[in-house]
Amino acid sequence: MPNQETLGTGQTSAITLNEDYCSTCTICYSLCPFEAITREPETGKILLDIDKCQVCGLCYSTCPAKAIDTLYYDMDSLTDYLERAKQAYQPDNLVIMCKGSAPDFGGIEKMFDVPKFVPLSVPCVGRIPGEIFLKAMTMGFEKIYVLACDEDYCRFEEGSAVTGRKLMVFNLLLEQLGYGKEVISLKQNSLKVKVDRNKCISCGNCLFYCPYDAAKLEAPEAVSFDLELCRGCGLCVALCPAMALELENWEEERISALISQLSSEMEKPKILVFRCQWAVFPLLEEELAPNVRMIELPCASRIDALHLLEALGNGVDGVLIAACPEDDCRQEKRSKEAEHIVNLLKKRLSQLGLEDKLHFCFVTPRHPETFAEELRQFKEVIEAGCLKERKK
Amino acid sequence: MIITSPKPLDEILDFLSPYTKVFIVGCDGCTQPPRGLREAKALTQLLELGGRLRGKEFETKTTTVAKQCDSHLIATMLRPQTEGIESILSLSCGLGVQTITEVLPDLVTFPAQNSIFAGMEAREKGTFEEWCSACGDCILALTGGICPVTRCAKGLLNGACGGTSNEKCELNPENDCAWCLIYKRLEELGRLDVLKEYRPPRPYRAIARPGRYRE
Repeated sequence: MPNQETLGTGQTSAITLNEDYCSTCTICYSLCPFEAITREPETGKILLDIDKCQVCGLCYSTCPAKAIDTLYYDMDSLTDYLERAKQAYQPDNLVIMCKGSAPDFGGIEKMFDVPKFVPLSVPCVGRIPGEIFLKAMTMGFEKIYVLACDEDYCRFEEGSAVTGRKLMVFNLLLEQLGYGKEVISLKQNSLKVKVDRNKCISCGNCLFYCPYDAAKLEAPEAVSFDLELCRGCGLCVALCPAMALELENWEEERISALISQLSSEMEKPKILVFRCQWAVFPLLEEELAPNVRMIELPCASRIDALHLLEALGNGVDGVLIAACPEDDCRQEKRSKEAEHIVNLLKKRLSQLGLEDKLHFCFVTPRHPETFAEELRQFKEVIEAGCLKERKK
Repeated sequence: MIITSPKPLDEILDFLSPYTKVFIVGCDGCTQPPRGLREAKALTQLLELGGRLRGKEFETKTTTVAKQCDSHLIATMLRPQTEGIESILSLSCGLGVQTITEVLPDLVTFPAQNSIFAGMEAREKGTFEEWCSACGDCILALTGGICPVTRCAKGLLNGACGGTSNEKCELNPENDCAWCLIYKRLEELGRLDVLKEYRPPRPYRAIARPGRYRE
């Protein structure tokens, strides 16, 4: 295991490159969508600039020399997870899905027509090393289903394309090994906005805010969306004054149900985290403190003031919102918009003296400590606040 | 659009203090920033939180109306939903509050907003700007489509005052001098000759209040 600590900064890097193993083959260099991997012209040495890295994991999953290591979803933790899940539920099918495009489990069931399966949800299926398909077959899985984002909408630009190519190779390999034809099947999907045209008041808000020009308004009709252009960020949903819009898989009701379920199972002082699925990567073995629960959102722009208020109304003591830094945001700087929404709400909560119950932070998965530290500090504030309340 | 700003929550909680069953009603009409269903629901939750801090549990209900200033809509859409309600909190401008008071006199209706002005929405700037005062005697045809009555702090009719500096208003340097804008616009149109004509003081009779209009 290479040392995960980068020199000098004292922070852990989510991706590390072990020069001793590197064969300077340049596969990672040519694949990295973010120019975080460079090659020294004279020596051919491969260098990783973690500050440019978006932790897509493509380099990890494709490095033939195993010179790249990752904190999230590496071979060991994936294997562990699959073994445990296989033993616990005994299903024949494995479904590997990208967080960016996967509907809820019911939707997966319908999409692939599989009633019983082990779900493996990852930020970009491109990060899954091909060997995991072989491992899964030796564990006794019979079919593997992979759900990637539509190639045009891949948050990591190359993730879906790389997955497609990888699956072709491994399907051939598995066939030659005698596991049968097309053992791994691939579907591509992306989540979209849904509009209730009866509720639409044709105000044009979504037209202004949509970063992709997907909303169309032709008077006197209600709004319609070009779903080819929609990338499912959810910004229009969170800002629709008439609540006429929904985002597939992140429907108002579904999030509300999650809020009330999670807030009832938490211990005091209750802390609920809304996090962008690209800002914080949960570990497969992630264990949460009994007073902390998380809700993942497709992008911080789906942050809805109503949900934050709902959490407080349900007795949650503190709500933490974690978004990608502006430059990292996969949705054209929409995390900035989320910050604005939270600040506006904070201002109103301050009229009730409740502003400390809300905290917005920018974090990135490239240094996992940033989120851990934000959470630790916020917990301190909330615990101190609760103590004060009790004394009163 | 009628621009409104939310009243402080404490003020609302104060005037709602004798009432428990409160109907919170949004307006999808011209009230801006949007005061529709989403804002009504947010306000509902804020009031419930604030109520609890005062040891009070509200029984709330939330809805929205296409335009609250329409007496027929209030009578047909809102009235049937008001059974068991003690008080209405309106997110509309002052018109909605008064229309509901007029049509549903058995209920007490309160404003959740302060109505500030009739404004345009400068989306890119993220601001609302007062551009029309409903003066009743529109002179936009003579001023290049820019209103000096509203956008000049002094409401001057015959050109800039001596206080204009770098094309900004002396009373608030953040504001453009309306007469500089008018001059430039008329120059663009090749209509500077319009300015040679003296315009007498405005006939304030045209805005005798309260106004009434029939078409």
